[in-house]
Amino acid sequence: MNEKSVVVIGLPGSGKTTYLAALWHLVTANDIATQLKLSQLGAGSRKHLNEIASRWQNAVQQDRTYLQGLKLVRMHLNDEAGHDFVVSFPDVPGEEYRKMWEDREIDIAVQETLTSAGVLFCIHADTINQPNWIVDEAAMLNMLGLPVVASKAIDWHPQFAPTQVQVVDILQMLRSPPLDIGPRRLAIILSVWDKASGEGLTPDAYLAQKMPLLNQYLSANADGWKVQVFGVSAQGGDYDDVDPGTERSEDARRLRELDKASTRIDVVNEKSHTHDLTAPLAWLME
Amino acid sequence: MTNREIICANPACRVSETGMCLEGLPLDDCSSYGNEPAVEDEADEAEHDVEEIASSTITLSSGRALSAEIAAKFLLNWDSRVIAIIGPRETGKTSLVAGIYDLFQSGRIGEINFARSSTLTAFEIACHDARTASRRGVPHSERTRRGEVLFYHLDVYGGVANDGVTLLLADRSGEEYSEVADDIANANGLVELHRADVITILVDGARLLDAGRRHSIRMDITMILQGLSEADVLRVDQRIALVLTKLDMVETSENSARAISGFDEIHQHLVTKFAGKVQGFDIFKVAASPQEARMARGTGLKTLLESWLKKQPCVAVEVTNERKPTRAFARIRPLNEEQAHE
Repeated sequence: MNEKSVVVIGLPGSGKTTYLAALWHLVTANDIATQLKLSQLGAGSRKHLNEIASRWQNAVQQDRTYLQGLKLVRMHLNDEAGHDFVVSFPDVPGEEYRKMWEDREIDIAVQETLTSAGVLFCIHADTINQPNWIVDEAAMLNMLGLPVVASKAIDWHPQFAPTQVQVVDILQMLRSPPLDIGPRRLAIILSVWDKASGEGLTPDAYLAQKMPLLNQYLSANADGWKVQVFGVSAQGGDYDDVDPGTERSEDARRLRELDKASTRIDVVNEKSHTHDLTAPLAWLME
Repeated sequence: MTNREIICANPACRVSETGMCLEGLPLDDCSSYGNEPAVEDEADEAEHDVEEIASSTITLSSGRALSAEIAAKFLLNWDSRVIAIIGPRETGKTSLVAGIYDLFQSGRIGEINFARSSTLTAFEIACHDARTASRRGVPHSERTRRGEVLFYHLDVYGGVANDGVTLLLADRSGEEYSEVADDIANANGLVELHRADVITILVDGARLLDAGRRHSIRMDITMILQGLSEADVLRVDQRIALVLTKLDMVETSENSARAISGFDEIHQHLVTKFAGKVQGFDIFKVAASPQEARMARGTGLKTLLESWLKKQPCVAVEVTNERKPTRAFARIRPLNEEQAHE
C-alpha cells in the first residue's frame, strides 16, 4: 500500500486537532459524499482519533491537557479512482510551531514530520494578529478626542510579531535546511471560517486582505510552493467549553440537533463549497 | 585519502552537506560519523496507528541580521543590490530600514512586492518601537550599536525589481563612518561601502531645523565623503542617495523653508565637490516613522526604494594591470594576511 504523509501545521489554537477530529468522524461516519474514503481500520490503536472525534461529535471543545506530546496518526484511505494509501498525520501541539518562530528550535521528532510531501497549514481566520502602529493609533485617538497615554515601554518579544510574519517565516524554514525537501504542495486552511465568511470574501481574497505580506510571499513563489487556500469551518460554530460551570453554547446545542453531524463541516475555496473535509487532502495527494 | 561515504548515524547531522560534525568534533573522533542512521522496525511501527514520539531539539536559522560573510553568499543568487546607509546617531537609519519593511506589511510598495527575507526577526526588532506593542506614546527607534556591519535581507520582485532583486541593507553605527573624517585608515574596514551599489547618506531633518546644530551637517558629510574618496572607497559607478529624514517635522516647522534650503545647499555643494568621483547624486525627502499623523507613515520611501533597486548603468573605468576581485567581500582578508601583502 502506498504511504503518503501530510503534516498539519499551525500556531496554538489554529484548529489542527479539530480538523483531525472532524476528518476522522467524516471518514468513519461515511454519511456524505467525500473524495477520500476510509478503506480499512488497519491494525493498532485509534484511541487518540476516537477520543478527539467523540468530543467533536458531542460538540465539546478539545481538552488541551489531553493534547500534550507528539502523536503520529495514520488513516487508511482510498480515492475516487480506487487507489489505496495510508496517510500519516503528526498531531503536534501548536506550541512546537510557536517554538519554531520564537525559540528558533524544533523537536527532532517534529523535524522528521516536517519533511512530509504535503503541508496543511491552519490559520485561525478570526484571531489574526495584525501589526498596529503608534502613529495610526494616535491619529485615531485624536479623531475621537482622546489623549495618547504612554506607559512604560516594554521590550520586544517574538510573540508580538504579526501572524503573517510568523507564518511566512515558518514556511521559509520549511524550504531551508534541515527541513527542505524541494517544492511541495501547501493547503492553507483558514479555520473557523464561519466567523470570517460574513465579510463576503473568498478565502483567497480574505488572505490577501488580512495578511498582505503572506499573500505577496505566496504570489512571488520564491520558495516554489503550489498553493490552494481553503476556508474551513470544521465545527460549524462554538462548542461547549470543557471547564465545568461555564455556560453551554447555543451553537453547540443547534449543531447537535443536525441529523448528519458531517453537515456541520463547511469547506470553501474559489471553485466549490462542500462539507467534504477530505478535499484539501485529496488535492495535496494529487 | 580514503573514499569514505559521507554519512552519519545522527539524523540531524548534515555532514554530507557541510562537512562538519553536528557535535563539533573532528570527524574521525565522532562515533556516529560513517555509520548508517538507526532505522526503526517498520513492522513494529505499523502496529500502532498512534505513536508517542520521543524528543530532543535542533536549532533553526536565527532570522537575525546577517554577517558580511553570510550576506556575501546572497550576492551569488539573484540580481542583487548592496545599500550602505550612512547616518549619524538618531538620524533615522533604523526607522528607514524598518519603515520599508513595515510598508510591505500592508501591501506592495508601488509595483514592488515582498518575496522573502532571511532576516524577519531582525526587521521585527527594528519595527518594535514604532508599533503599539511597545506601549510607547510616540514612535522611537533603537540606535545601532558599534560593532561589525550587519545586513538586513529582502528579496523583492515586480516594478523596477522585474523578476527579482536581492536587497541587502547594511547596518553599521554612524560613529564608525564619522571616524573616517578623523583618519582615512578607518575606511579600510568598511566592507559594505566597497561593494555598495548606492551609498545612502541621511541628513537629519530635526538637526537642520536647529539654528545651531545645522551648520555642522555639511562639513560632517563632506569630511566623510572626502575621507572615503581618499581611501579609494568611492567608485565612479556608485550613486549617492542624499536623504532628508523626518520630513514631517521639517514641513510643520516655522523654519521649514530654511531647512529645505539648507538641504538643497548641501546637495549642490556635494555635487560640485565630488564631480567625477561618483556617478551622481540623487535627493530624497522621507518621513519613515512620523511622530504624529500629520504625514503618512513611510512618505517618500517608495521613491527611495525604487532608486535603490534600479540597475546602475555601466560606467567606463580606466583599466590597470592590477587584478582585483569584482566583489568587495572577496577582497576581505584577515588582518595579518592583509599586512603581508603590503
